[in-house]
Formats: sequence, C-alpha cells, structure tokens
Amino acid sequence: MNREELFTIAENWFKKHNWKPFAFQTQTWTAFLQNKNGLLNAPTGSGKTYALWFPIILNYIKKNPNYKSKHKPGLKAIWITPLRALSVEIKQAAEKVAEDLKTNLTVGIRSGDTSQSERTKQKTKMPDLLITTPESLQLLLASKDYVKTFKDCDAIVIDEWHELLGTKRGVQMELALSRLKAIAPNLRIWGISATIGNLELAQEVLLGTNSEAFENSILIKAHINKKINVTSIIPEKMETYPWRGHMGLHMIDEVAKIIRKSKTTLIFTNVRSACELWFQALLDKYPEFAGEMAMHHGSINRETRLWVENAIRNEELKVVVCTSSLDLGVDFAPVETIIQVGGPKGVARFLQRAGRSGHQPGKESNIYFLATHAMELIEASALKKAVRDTIVEDRVPYLNSYDVLVQYLNTLAVSDGFYPDEIFKEIQSTFCYQNITKENWNWILNFITNGSQSLQVYDEYKKVEIEADGKYKINSKRIAMHHRMQIGTIVSDATLNVKFLGGGFIGTIEEWFISKLQPGDTFTFGGKRLEFFKVKNMQVLVRKADAKKKSRTVSWMGGRMTLSAQMSELLRQELYNANTDNLTPELIAMKPIFERQRRESIVPNANEFLIETFKTREGFHAVFYPFEGRFVHEAMASLLSYRISLLSPITFSLAYNDYGFELLSDQEIDMESVFDNNLFSSEYVHHDLQHSLNATEMARRKFRDIAVISGLVFTGMPGKPIKTKHLQSGSQLLFGVFRDYEPDNLLLQQAFIETFEHQLEEGRLLQALERIAKQEIVWKPCKKPTPFSFPIITDRLREKLSSETLAERIQKMTASYMK
Amino acid sequence: MEIEIENNNFTLHASGALFWKEKNTVLISDVHLGKIAHFRKHGLAIPENAILENFTRMDEVLELFKPEKIIFLGDLFHSKINNEWILFSNWVKKINLEIILVEGNHDIIDKQNYASLNIVIHSKLLIDSFLLTHHPIETDNFFNFCGHIHPGIKLKGKGRQFLNLACFFRKPKQLIFPAFGEFTGNFYLVPTENDLVYAVSKEAVFEVVIN
Repeated sequence: MNREELFTIAENWFKKHNWKPFAFQTQTWTAFLQNKNGLLNAPTGSGKTYALWFPIILNYIKKNPNYKSKHKPGLKAIWITPLRALSVEIKQAAEKVAEDLKTNLTVGIRSGDTSQSERTKQKTKMPDLLITTPESLQLLLASKDYVKTFKDCDAIVIDEWHELLGTKRGVQMELALSRLKAIAPNLRIWGISATIGNLELAQEVLLGTNSEAFENSILIKAHINKKINVTSIIPEKMETYPWRGHMGLHMIDEVAKIIRKSKTTLIFTNVRSACELWFQALLDKYPEFAGEMAMHHGSINRETRLWVENAIRNEELKVVVCTSSLDLGVDFAPVETIIQVGGPKGVARFLQRAGRSGHQPGKESNIYFLATHAMELIEASALKKAVRDTIVEDRVPYLNSYDVLVQYLNTLAVSDGFYPDEIFKEIQSTFCYQNITKENWNWILNFITNGSQSLQVYDEYKKVEIEADGKYKINSKRIAMHHRMQIGTIVSDATLNVKFLGGGFIGTIEEWFISKLQPGDTFTFGGKRLEFFKVKNMQVLVRKADAKKKSRTVSWMGGRMTLSAQMSELLRQELYNANTDNLTPELIAMKPIFERQRRESIVPNANEFLIETFKTREGFHAVFYPFEGRFVHEAMASLLSYRISLLSPITFSLAYNDYGFELLSDQEIDMESVFDNNLFSSEYVHHDLQHSLNATEMARRKFRDIAVISGLVFTGMPGKPIKTKHLQSGSQLLFGVFRDYEPDNLLLQQAFIETFEHQLEEGRLLQALERIAKQEIVWKPCKKPTPFSFPIITDRLREKLSSETLAERIQKMTASYMK
Repeated sequence: MEIEIENNNFTLHASGALFWKEKNTVLISDVHLGKIAHFRKHGLAIPENAILENFTRMDEVLELFKPEKIIFLGDLFHSKINNEWILFSNWVKKINLEIILVEGNHDIIDKQNYASLNIVIHSKLLIDSFLLTHHPIETDNFFNFCGHIHPGIKLKGKGRQFLNLACFFRKPKQLIFPAFGEFTGNFYLVPTENDLVYAVSKEAVFEVVIN
C-alpha cells in the first residue's frame, strides 16, 4: 500500500467521527511513514495521541497487507507516559482505533499497578502496543533476554517529554533509548512536548546529541492558540491584607462567589497542606457545597482520586481543591474556571493550569490569581504580562548524572550482562553523557565491580563480576533482587499508609509527621478528622475523631519552588513600575503597602539595590532585595555571609524568599566594610561558594538522592521500607565518610556539581551580581521591620554559616530543659 | 575535660572515650566495627579506607592515656563475622592490653572468637560502686555507665542559631556514653533539671549550659 492509500484509511476514520485531521497530525503521519524521528509540540487534548498512534498502525498495515486476517505477534510500539494515571486513557484511545480498523492489534499496560500474573503473561506474549512508564521500561531491560522482546519494535513514543526533560527520569529515558536504538534497528523515536522555551534542545536530548536518529529528525509544532483570561482577586479593603503567607483564606468569600458563577471550578494550591486547609475552610464556611466538593492530591488513595476525576467529567462536582496532581493529562470538559492560590512561580505552570479550563475548541480559559500575601500581587501583575507576551521557561537537562549511569549499568548487568566497549559507544551518543571521558568511564566500571578504585587485601566487596569473556554480570540472586527493587530515580520521603482500625485505606502521609504525634492526637487528612491510634507494620491506624476536638492539618515536606528567571525579570519590571504613574490594578491595590514601605525605607527603582537593617529581639537583621528568586537568593546569601565571615568571626542564620534574603546574627554587621571590601563582586564566586559551609550542606542533601539512585544505600524490601530516618542518617553519614575518605569519588563530586548548577544556579547568580554591580546601593537603617522584609524574617526554614570556632559558638549556646 | 563521680576522677575525651584515673582504664561504647565491611559485602560501596579510622582513633586514645585495661560497653562488633574481624584481631594482638567486653545487642558473633583473643565477656560488670552495662539501667544502689542509645544534644543560641552534637549524658546515677564508631547516628535527648550534658565535638568536650 502506498502512502495515499494509507492516509485514506486514516482520513476515513476521522470522517466517520465527523472530525478533520489537523495539519500537525498529517505532518506527523507523513514524517513517521518517511522513517523520520521527531518531537511533536502539542498541548494536552489537541489530538496528539492520534497524531502518533495512527502512523504506527498504518505502518503495521503497510508491512502486513493481509493484516485483517493474519495477526503478527510481538511488540510493535512502546508508549511512555510519566504518569501511570494517564495510561488508561491512552489505552482506550489506542484500542478504539485498532478495533475500528479491524487490525486485531492488542494494547497492554505495564506499570507499578500491573499485577504479577499480568506481567508474567506479558513476558511470554507481549501486547502489540505497550503503554508504560520510564521505570517499568528499565525493569524490562533488567529482565533476561530483553533483546528478544524489543528487536522488532518499530516505534517508541515519549509522551509529556517536557515533564521528563530536566529530571533524572529524563536521563533514565536517554539511556534506555540509547540501548533500544542498538537492539531495534527499525525503531523510530518520537516525543510529545507542551510548549517550553527550549524545544530544539528538547529534541536533541530526546534523540541523542551525536546520533543518526537526531540527524534524521523533525520538529513539528501544533500552533494551537487559546485565549486565556487572567484576573486577580483583589479585596476591597487592602489594609487587612496579611504581610506574609496565610494560605489566602481571608479571601474565601470572594472565592465562593467565583465558584457559584461557573459550572466547575478547580482551585490549585501549591502544597498539599494548603489543599487540605482550603477544603476544610470551604466546607466549614459554606456547608452548602458539601456533596459537590472534592479534594485531589497525590497522597490521597488512588480509588478516591479516580472517583474524583470521573466525577469532574460527569459534571457531578462544583468545585475541586487540588495540587499539581491535576496539572497533567486527562481532559475535563466541564471545568470553566481555575483559581490559583499563591504564586505559581513559573509561567509554564500557570499556563498549564489555566489550560485545564475551557478545554473545548473555541472556548476561552479563565484563571483567577489569589495572592496569599500582599507582595504576591506583584507576581499576579507580572503573570498577566507573561501570558500576554507568551513567555515560557526552559527546562534544563542534566549532564553527567553518574548516579543514573551506575544504576543503568547495574540494570544491564542484572539481565543479560554487558560488554563495556559496546555500551560506552552508546552512552557517548546521548546528550547527558556526550562529554564523558574514558577515565571517568573506567572509574564507573571500577566502582560497580570493586566498590572502589583500588583493591585492598581484606576487601569482600561484591556486586558486578567480570566473566572470562569480559562480560560484566551480576550473578548474586540477592543483589539482583535488591537492584530490581531499587530501580527508579524518584527518591521520596518514606510514607506510611493511613488506615481505619476497621479497615479502609485513606491515603499516605510522611513518616516525620506521624513521628510528632502521640496516640490520641487528632489530625485532619483527606478532609476527615482522624484520631491517631498507633503505627503497626508501617501502617498508621486511625479512627474517626470527635469533630470538636482541636486538630492539626497534615503537612508534607516537598521542596519549595523558586521563581524562574523569566518570572523574576517580569517581577522586577512590575515592581519598578510602582514608582511611576503606570499602575496596574494590582499595583493600585498595593498602594497602602508601598506607602508603609516608603515610611521606613524605599521602593527601589531599576537602578537601585535596596538593603535594610534593623534590630529586633532575635538579633541584628540585614535584608537584601535582588528580586531574583529563591535559589539565587540562597546562593547569594551563602556567598555574602561567607565573605563577611572572613572579615571577623561571626555566625549567621540565613533566610530567603523570592524577593530577597536575610542575614541574621547576634552581632551587628559592619555594613561599611561590606561596601569597602566590594563583597558583591562577581570574582571568585565559585571558589567562595565552594568554601561556604552552606554549599556543603546543600551538597549533603543532594547526595542523599544520588546515594539512593546509585545503590549506595538500600531502601528496603517492598511493603517493608527501611524507615527514612535510617536512610537519611545512613546517607548523611555516608556523605561525611566519602568526603573524608574518597573526596575524588565521582558521585560525591556530582552532588557538588548539582548543587552549583541546579540548586545555586551559579549562572544566574553571576548575572545577578553583574546587574547589582551596575546599580546604586541604597542602605536604609530602619527602626522596625518593613512590609518587604516581613515575609522573609518570619521564615522558619533556615541555613547557617559561621566563621566562629565550635568552642566559641557552644559557649554562646544553650540546651533547653524538658518542659 | 575532667569530671568527678562518686569520688572517682575521669577524663572525657573528644573521641567519646572515657579515662578512669583510679583504675587506669579506658572505657569505650558502641564502636560498631564490621558495619562498613558488612555493607560492602552486600554490594553497597562505602569507602573501604573508612574501616581503618576506628582503629586509628582507638590508637590515639591509648597513646594519650596509656591505660592498662580497655572496657567496651557493648556493640563492639556490629554484625555477622566478616573480614573486619581480621583487622580487629591484628589490632588486639598489637596493643596487648587486657580487654573486657560488656555485651550489647549487636554483639551476636560467636563468643569463641572473643575467647581466642583473650577478651572476657560480661553481661554486666560491677566495679566498686559502678555498674557497667550496655543498655541504660536505673538503679539507686550503683552508678551506671552505659551506652546503646548514642545520645546527642540540640543547642540553640541568639540569632536563630542551632547546633546538634553527640554527648556524654549524665543523670544523677548514670552516665550514658556517646557512640565511638565513625559510622553511627545520634539520638537526641532533652535534659531535665537534674541532668548534666557534655557535648563532644571533634576538637574537645564542652559542658553544655542548660536553661
């Protein structure tokens, strides 16, 4: 069959459903059938599934003209989804086409939710199309004779590639693809990505920097423009607006009004605890919403989440309070309105959430922004501008992730074993390892075989063994089993299942939270008031609590997000407008705050860098305002405090938010000497950061994930996880041991590199310092905290930096008695 | 740091060891030898050089106090027997001192191994008015030296400063030793009015001010 005939089959199918293929769909079909690889830039709900599933089927038809009568068994295509929850929907869409075209093609899912019996069945007879996750794909590479499974596979589609890019799951995918290319000669590789700032790079990372696949590839853009209306929720009386984050609950009446106006509203919060609080508050104040209101976040049990998703689709719900758990995937046609509580920190995330409303062609998206404290209103104003000018962020991919490489090599050693020369060539073609040296490669090989670089007499290290013909192989069944259980790159805090005494699974909470509770204590979780009974077999047993009893709301750790570079830039531009007559509604609303700020200090202009100092009961505060986002401030705070600490012995506690950072000390900082010594210099930044204790502390935290991913610590048997307290102290101790005894260990060095590139964002820090160098420094000694400083100085999550000796510090410190 | 208990004199050492002057004896708790070799045997690549550190530090303590006896307050060898035992045997032969082990919960290897090195094992040991055990024991009649819990202390200061350190934790009739081992964690205790806390850092031992 030629291409025209094949296209007719597809077009007829569209006609039957009264649809017409979009240009991006036919473009993708053509490119695929020309044996091209590529990246498709299309949003959710645009028909992207059909853009790639159709050519896969057409290709099968082309290769098997009597496809209707004779089914050719074996895996033909793999569909990778980052979220298991999405796989059912993809399966339904794929099955529909396969059946309508009478192809007899089968579709199967393999993920963490797939039963053992189903997996065994798949092993003997793979479905034609396999929908799976990056982790489950690795597990397939860890099973015997995997080459046979994949050798006739014609296509692999990586859905939501933008979600994987910039994470170690993305690196894991790069490695899997480098292997699949070698064992499946006809493989076409396609990615699907939402709009990000660096689509071309996304394409290169997907296909491999030095690869034929990349040379023979194409980028297709769907060009679907949707109108997005952004509105800030501004109260009538600004005086009562809190100066720091309070979850935004003071605006609950305005929110209720918005909910009433639309069919279904999704309220997005940034963290799960805020989600719980909002749900409870709405229920308490507006009991009439009961029955039409639900909550959705990642720690609630799967059945409940699925129920909520279906209820939204069936128009049974008026309002759902949720977190990023509803950012991706599934279409919700009835959703008309989105409310974003608190700053979304990035334009892309804000757009993604806005896009969850008005999902039908021709409809508009409506999103309301609710600032949880006064300063966040500037963010609202900046976001509007970002949406208008369609500014989106880049996703920065990882380079040289040795931890993922170690895991991958162990995976290959577990299944059929590997020959280093062959694999080295493959990984060199990836983006992540394009610059790996032979020296580092040998280091990795030594590491997985000897557990070190030099063998000592009494050492009994055992993991990968080198066989007579040079094949690297794991032969110990126990080590192989441990490895298979640890495959993956998402390192989470240990969670415990929450269950009623009489049975009934409610969800999962983190171990540290439960460790703070005494039996009999009450907490709110999943919208229920629960009494803690006891922990048994890694399960938290609870019973219904007295509704009147005082309770705590469950909270989860989870990293704090930082403003993207793009958002910070927009934010600064908005702020500088505050001193002009060119005021947006948000800035007008903030007038009382600005007046308060100007009474003690200033609202800086574009050419000014503001520093405020004041004294409180806690000590001497110095607050700096670069407006560069949390991570850059974290770096700048370490850098500056380190440099000040070189002048004379001093100890600081550091705090930061997206607007600025604070150095708090028991001594007054000599600000004149800060200026005289040019401490904001962009010279020797790397050196100084490396020497500041803070960078070491951050690296210590990064090392925890690296240690787990590379298999340096064992996280436990399924259902019986080792308590994270042990894992944590295990990897914390490990960090110290490595630093003392193997400072040149590549995994340890990786922890520092990741700290500088992904946490401290050294590149952005340098740019910020260069910008500050051109600004005029305005130092305002104040009598009391200003509105700008308030959210920073009240932050409890802090770092420390000291140049005093331990003895000096201990002498000034005390321990508290038991109360 | 020098302290006095029940008219006996002791030196607390920054390593977590204690020297008993009247008896010319060094007391050490929770060394957890064998832990690193155990991990390595199971494919977890902990730096092998770290194994030697415990021996180096014990040598430093012996060099400083020149005792005639060492008493280990339990959890000397962490796990099943492995090659770290060979290093330990060599060390025991080299130092050639009287060694006593007060048995701990991790000391599960065959007692024959200790016997062959002339190490005497007790489940508890009474010396004058001092009762030496691995697990802390509350008694009115004796002063209890013990280990097991790896005590630590949390300190705070002005300007939101915090510091966590291992410590010797002293109750009216008890002194809990910090873990000597390199590769161990701390369990943080909160003192009551009757307790004294001696924080241990790499440099020295400090008495902590409690308020």
